[in-house]
Amino acid sequence: MKTIQITTPVSEETVKKLNVGDTVEISGYILCGRDAVLPKVLEMIENGTADRLGVDLRGQVIFHTAVSPAGVGPTSSNKLEIESSIAPLSRAGIRLHLGKGELKKETVAALDRYNSVYAVIPPVTALLGSRTSEEKVIAFPELGMEALHLIKVDKYPAIIGAAHGRSIYDK
Amino acid sequence: MTNDIVSHVREGLVEAGSTFRPDKKSAYKKAIDSETDEKAKWVLKTILENAEAAEKNRSPLCDDTGIPHLLLEVGPDCAVTGRMLEDIKEGVRQGLRKLPGRPMAIMGDDSSRIDQSGGLNPDSAGVEPAPVLIRQCGENVIRLHILMFGGGPAIRGSTYRIFHRHDTAVVLDEIVKRACEAVAQLGCSPCTLAIGVGRSHFEAASLMLQAQADGRYDIQSDMEKEITSRVNAAGIGPLGLGGSTSVLATFMKVGPQRASGVRIVCIRPACCFEPRIATVELGRLDTE
Repeated sequence: MKTIQITTPVSEETVKKLNVGDTVEISGYILCGRDAVLPKVLEMIENGTADRLGVDLRGQVIFHTAVSPAGVGPTSSNKLEIESSIAPLSRAGIRLHLGKGELKKETVAALDRYNSVYAVIPPVTALLGSRTSEEKVIAFPELGMEALHLIKVDKYPAIIGAAHGRSIYDK
Repeated sequence: MTNDIVSHVREGLVEAGSTFRPDKKSAYKKAIDSETDEKAKWVLKTILENAEAAEKNRSPLCDDTGIPHLLLEVGPDCAVTGRMLEDIKEGVRQGLRKLPGRPMAIMGDDSSRIDQSGGLNPDSAGVEPAPVLIRQCGENVIRLHILMFGGGPAIRGSTYRIFHRHDTAVVLDEIVKRACEAVAQLGCSPCTLAIGVGRSHFEAASLMLQAQADGRYDIQSDMEKEITSRVNAAGIGPLGLGGSTSVLATFMKVGPQRASGVRIVCIRPACCFEPRIATVELGRLDTE
């Protein structure tokens, strides 16, 4: 299998070329957030205060994970608060959502509408730890490991799970 | 008896959270060789690569480092004291700090622990082990199995009754049906199915725990082989992406049964890293 290299920020053109089943390696700075923090980020976008995050959301990758001393690893992206963030975050410029598990048809359609994709990352914490060089909290530090984090990664392995209205879980 | 229980338990917990046993590594290598789906093969290889990195660094296999579950085996002339149990708990605390375990204990009163309003304990050692299960063994030793239980399999596992209609096949059919549903929902597959068949929910769950301590990937009973093969035929595949490797093996323990039309069956779809287990000897009596 050929592996496609993706570097953040991810361009519109790069996303257009990605297809379900492509294996990719992601490098650069990416955001990390899950159930607790994503609704708060959405609130900031709705209130027009997202610029206070200090990170341009356009072209960003968001990894559905906590960041703890144990490392990082995907939580299920089909949890209510996480899956419901995918469409509005894509509209705000997030180009790649990184997690695990099957998404609803309407979420897959929304990804396509906003030229964004979903990638499945294996829960390989030790491997990811060896490919992570920086991490910092950028918002909501009171949430501890569930705060919004920015981390620097090198060649995180993933497989495109939803793109152009199609899902890898389609039977 | 040796006097360094704390250090044995501490190192055992780190090993449990960071290491695949040799038979599990072999099971993965065999699955990689036999899997024909390219996506599935890629997932299996990545998981094995992760295990190699975790073992080398003695770092967590998964960021959900799990809840410690302890199975204590006690030989005929050995005695377990309250002080020994406290030493074991101290070893668990030290092990969680060393691994490090994910700090995920919720603080507060009963209600705040349920709704998570009590906040997170920032200390990895705040994660208390489940109640210790004790069983007898033939050797004159005190041996501790340390297992780390992640959250995903707990969400998708179940303990329930099956009316057997005096036919083992009826029970196996129901196990396969429930296992297929659980494995498909789990996401972090390939699984190892841990199954206990008992007379009560408590007994079935304790047998499920013992099945993980005793199970071997290279030694499978006919019933275990049948369950594995039938779940794999569903084509769920690693991470649910399709393929023939949804389940690496089944570890099943059948306990004593009662004269009744019902069997209580506990199924845990142990994730791609489980059983995360290590076994340490805490003491041995010289019987010469």
